[in-house]
Amino acid sequence: MSAPAVSLVAMLYVLAVIAAVMMGRRVSLWRAGRPMQVDWLKGIQALPKRYLVDVHHVVGRDPFTARMHALTAGGLLAGSGLLLLAPLAGGFRLYWALIALLFAAMLAGGAMVRKRRTPKPARLSGGRFNMLPLLLIGYAAGCFLVALDAASGGWLWLLAWPGLWLAAAGGMGLVLQLDRGPMRHAFAGALHLVAHPRPGRFEGRRETALAPLDLEAPRLGVETPADFTWNRLLGFDACIQCGRCEVACPAFAAGQPLNPKKLIQDLAATIVPGGTNAAYAGSPYPHARAVAGVGGPQQAIIGREAMIHPDTLWSCTTCRACVEECPMMIEHVDAIISLRRHETLECGAVPEKAAPALAELRYADDAQGRPLVARTDFAAGVPLPLISARGEADILLWLGEGAYDMRHGRSLRALLKLLHLAKVDFAVLGPEEKDCGDLARRLGDEATFQRLAGDNIATLARYRFRRILTADPHALHTLRNEYPAFGGHYDVVHHAALLDELVAAGHLAPGALALADVTYHDPCYLGRYNGEVEAPRRLLDRLGLNRVEMERHGKRSMCCGGGGGAPLSDIEGETRIPDIRMGQAAATGAGIVAVACPQCTAMLEGVTGERPEVRDISELVLMAVEAAASPADNRAARQPEPVA
Amino acid sequence: MKVTVLLSAGLHPVSGRPCPAAVELQAIRLAHTLGTPELTGLHAGPAADAVRDALGQGLPRLLWLETAVEDDPLAGLVAALATDRPDLILAGRQAQGADDSGLLPYALAKALGLPIIADAVAIEPAGEGAVHVVQALPRGARRRVTVRLPAVVTVHPAAPTALPFAFAAARRGTVERRAGQAALRSGAAIDERPYRKRPKLIAKAAAGASAADRLKAATESAAGGGRLLVDPAPDEAAREIIAHLRELGVLRR
Amino acid sequence: MSTMRLRRDPRTERAAHRIDGTARPRFDLAAAAETTGGRLRRNPRAEVERMLVAGTSRRRLDRSQRSVSTPLHIAAPAETAAAPRLIVIEEPAFLVAVVPDAPGGRLTPHDRQMIGAARLLAEKGGAVLALLAEPCEEIGPAGADRVLLVEASTGYDPEGRSASIAMAVDGLGVRHALFPESVDGGDIARRVAADLGEALFAGAESIAANAVTRASRGRRVEQRRAPPRLISLAADAALPYAGAPREARALQDDPMPTVPTRRAILAAEIIPADPARVPLGEAGFVVSAGNGVTDFDGFRAVAAALGATPGASRVVCDAGLMPRAAQVGASGTVLEATCYFALGIAGAPQHLQGIARCEHVVAVNTDLHAAMIERAGLAIVADAQKVMPALLAALECETETTA
Repeated sequence: MSAPAVSLVAMLYVLAVIAAVMMGRRVSLWRAGRPMQVDWLKGIQALPKRYLVDVHHVVGRDPFTARMHALTAGGLLAGSGLLLLAPLAGGFRLYWALIALLFAAMLAGGAMVRKRRTPKPARLSGGRFNMLPLLLIGYAAGCFLVALDAASGGWLWLLAWPGLWLAAAGGMGLVLQLDRGPMRHAFAGALHLVAHPRPGRFEGRRETALAPLDLEAPRLGVETPADFTWNRLLGFDACIQCGRCEVACPAFAAGQPLNPKKLIQDLAATIVPGGTNAAYAGSPYPHARAVAGVGGPQQAIIGREAMIHPDTLWSCTTCRACVEECPMMIEHVDAIISLRRHETLECGAVPEKAAPALAELRYADDAQGRPLVARTDFAAGVPLPLISARGEADILLWLGEGAYDMRHGRSLRALLKLLHLAKVDFAVLGPEEKDCGDLARRLGDEATFQRLAGDNIATLARYRFRRILTADPHALHTLRNEYPAFGGHYDVVHHAALLDELVAAGHLAPGALALADVTYHDPCYLGRYNGEVEAPRRLLDRLGLNRVEMERHGKRSMCCGGGGGAPLSDIEGETRIPDIRMGQAAATGAGIVAVACPQCTAMLEGVTGERPEVRDISELVLMAVEAAASPADNRAARQPEPVA
Repeated sequence: MKVTVLLSAGLHPVSGRPCPAAVELQAIRLAHTLGTPELTGLHAGPAADAVRDALGQGLPRLLWLETAVEDDPLAGLVAALATDRPDLILAGRQAQGADDSGLLPYALAKALGLPIIADAVAIEPAGEGAVHVVQALPRGARRRVTVRLPAVVTVHPAAPTALPFAFAAARRGTVERRAGQAALRSGAAIDERPYRKRPKLIAKAAAGASAADRLKAATESAAGGGRLLVDPAPDEAAREIIAHLRELGVLRR
Repeated sequence: MSTMRLRRDPRTERAAHRIDGTARPRFDLAAAAETTGGRLRRNPRAEVERMLVAGTSRRRLDRSQRSVSTPLHIAAPAETAAAPRLIVIEEPAFLVAVVPDAPGGRLTPHDRQMIGAARLLAEKGGAVLALLAEPCEEIGPAGADRVLLVEASTGYDPEGRSASIAMAVDGLGVRHALFPESVDGGDIARRVAADLGEALFAGAESIAANAVTRASRGRRVEQRRAPPRLISLAADAALPYAGAPREARALQDDPMPTVPTRRAILAAEIIPADPARVPLGEAGFVVSAGNGVTDFDGFRAVAAALGATPGASRVVCDAGLMPRAAQVGASGTVLEATCYFALGIAGAPQHLQGIARCEHVVAVNTDLHAAMIERAGLAIVADAQKVMPALLAALECETETTA
């Protein structure tokens, strides 16, 4: 081995030791968190698959970045790893040639990192990140030169010595970044994949249900970083500040004081004793409310005197767009709900308009204190069988709180008519149906949610039915994914899926509608939370409609602003989220926005001015079925009826 | 300062389930504006389900005098307050759960020999042994009354909204249960039936009012049919509006 | 010129011409018979004539005069020509006392309703006695037979006032005493009840000689009983007295003496409502801005000059031009105002829900067919943005002339 090569290997061992110390320091910080059982063996076994498949599935949405990351990370890890084997294989020139090749790849990756950042897009962070391309290029170039020299048998010693210095400087810089800088994501991210709080995500399971809270616990929710489990803290450190969440976040787009990236960085900053948010160099919270910006493992996170302003917390619509976009598999929504739980349950510090809604849920089982018997008023004339009169039904129709709304009542009436036409055996709970608890849970009021869930599960246990049908994706998610933790296991189907089934089986015969172009707006709680993006589209296609897609659709759709109690929190921003979404719908040139959720209907119908019509999928299907039944009126049915 | 808030067994107006009376929760919030008072809730009745939730809305402790359903709570409350001697007794404008007549605070004040001030929307300390009570008058006007303590003050629904409910605080609060006093309710037999909403008698064209009032009431029916000026000059429109507002008596200058 | 004329009634006319005393009907059509009968008939020409606004070159109609032409009012002069007889009750069988709020000696609508209710209770030979804090002219026409001054001691002394009233109620052997369930009236009623150690039938929602009803147990139960001695009456639960004026004779020459009380109230001052800061739900006069308003400083100046509480439509609040607390409508605040002045608001259904309880509406809007124009008592089809400065100028001009 040549002298520069020996020195490089020695230096690498020194760097490895320093890196271990740096990582150890970070690990010791995570230990402040609450204990959590992790299946290490399974996690480590699954790591390659989780990294190569699941992470790159997300990263690959941006092919340039995917190539950049593959080259940089691949070169760095493989090259440095191989170099550590030099005491064994250092005598072979082929070995050094291979290393040179790997570092050449890393060098190319480093150049791409640089290219991506010039000019720097708004979503990427500055600060320590500005050094990153230089350090990567320096380390890669240095190692490349030394390895090339060794491969050539010492012919290039003139280049090898400066290369060694370059590698030392770059390597040292990278290692020192392991603690606070960009390189932290490498080891925290890998560990996060191993010890992920929702391992089911990697096994194709729907891991979108919130975890139940033990209401007997001494402290409810998360007040300080130490109240998070240790692997959640680890998750915050995994953030690479790529800003994909920031681009996806509807609250950020509407100018509300929330930026998921900054939120995670703020949380990561509080892990360190005496931590501040001063080092953050990405986009701030829009219209950020003033906070002290300090924290520590035992200090409160939320508050004007702490790290995060409550308005930031209450801006979230729980749409999970950030989670969907995060390449590091960070669970932003879980963190927000945990923090909200503490605010609501321990401090009673809920947004002004949310407090009366939660009170009504507590005492009247409806967020607006409306009588439960009035839930079926919308049906007005359409027969609506009560399950209490029969004891059983094939399908139990869960009406949800949208039934009280005049506008959504029309969609539900259309659904009822279709069910009658298809001769479906269905019934409703009527006055026995209480709010499913979605709103209470997203607002952090786990106590009310658990009571409502318990009551509803007890009611449902009294009746026999095969499936639950609902037109409300929030109720669907709650009943399907969150009630099982409380002993309620149901087969829940969304009305779009059932209508698709009925049409496919020939129970409904829709004619072809000759309407304006239709664009389908995916409800977050159906698309992202439950992965149901195909049935509604298939159904629309069966109606012979010309369907156009918005740029953001399917699992990457944008929220209407109606989830997570956001309409109640009503945090001031620049624009309203539904206005943005309606703008995207209008940009497709579609004349109709098809929706499949009462919240989306309400939010999008609230948009003023020239805009596409809002139609629930059931209304469109009914129009098609009626058009088929009376072809003479086909022409008359072309214009959607105006909404009062 | 020792403050006691009287709590009644409220019922939710729609569901009919026990729930704290809103205005009493507002009373708790008003008590908090007096610095850090020694705050106690006091309830006399057969059950404390409804009242217990007040512990989550700013009340640290609750004294529950357990009585039978048919008992008049007054005697027990008077006895408890006479021994406890709080500086300030707060009550809602109208308690719930029994007759809802709003008479109890007055009877209590009479029995304890204390002054009573009604319809507070704010209470501020006013030196030693006195408080300023701001009373709600119609149309947003207020009356600021300085009253010597101890006193009974009832709270108006226009007071600041109650502190939001915190589940953990409700869990932490303490309930002290004592036997109440048996005292039969007095009064004539009253016929009771389910409540039925009556249409309000709208006395628009009040026949007993002066002819001018009748004319006014008839010409300004709320259901439209008023005057319509199409495209007047702005000055003319302004003159018309001012004259009209003055006629309605809302323009006071 | 009368806007009414009599409708011809041919039958009566013929009957007037009939010559009496013949077996066969015979008529003397030449005789000028007096047309006595006939129903009143609208005279549209005369109505239009009356509505003409004098002094303008263009023909303009003042339609606020429209309802003058209802038969009720045209019939009135004939009746009022003979002064209405004063109803006097010399020897009342019993007394029904009323305790009106009568701020500044003027009866409120609630007071009038209460006196109307008292008349129902005094039907069989009773007399209505008004216990007044200060003399009141309107009390006789409003329906009181007797008046007794219960003078308040100086300042705010509800305790002293209630003690005097209790003494009067007890001393005069009053059968029923009625109070308005208003802020001050409700307070006095309960104080009197506590002084007398009696139950109060609080907030009666219907009242008749044989039964009164009220809501209890959180408005889930209706209590019903024969009228007890002390009753307080909810607003809009009875019609005001509509009969001929009553005598309002002073029951005794001297007012009731005030009862000395231990003055626990050290001071009291009225703080008048500041229209700019009154919560919308309590405000009496609200001026509201909608899409048709772009200059919000100007709008706020108009609100201040009018002495009105500023409000806004949802669109304006969403745009952040006015605070969220100013939003009027179903999702904002539901108003209880006497007058609502809408500038540039078309009147979405949700918005109209928010002003359903407003007595008077004034609207300025460019769209003649807007729902708000339909709803308004005075509707002006014009650009609110142009009317606002004119309003400001007119109001400023007025203050200058008065100053």
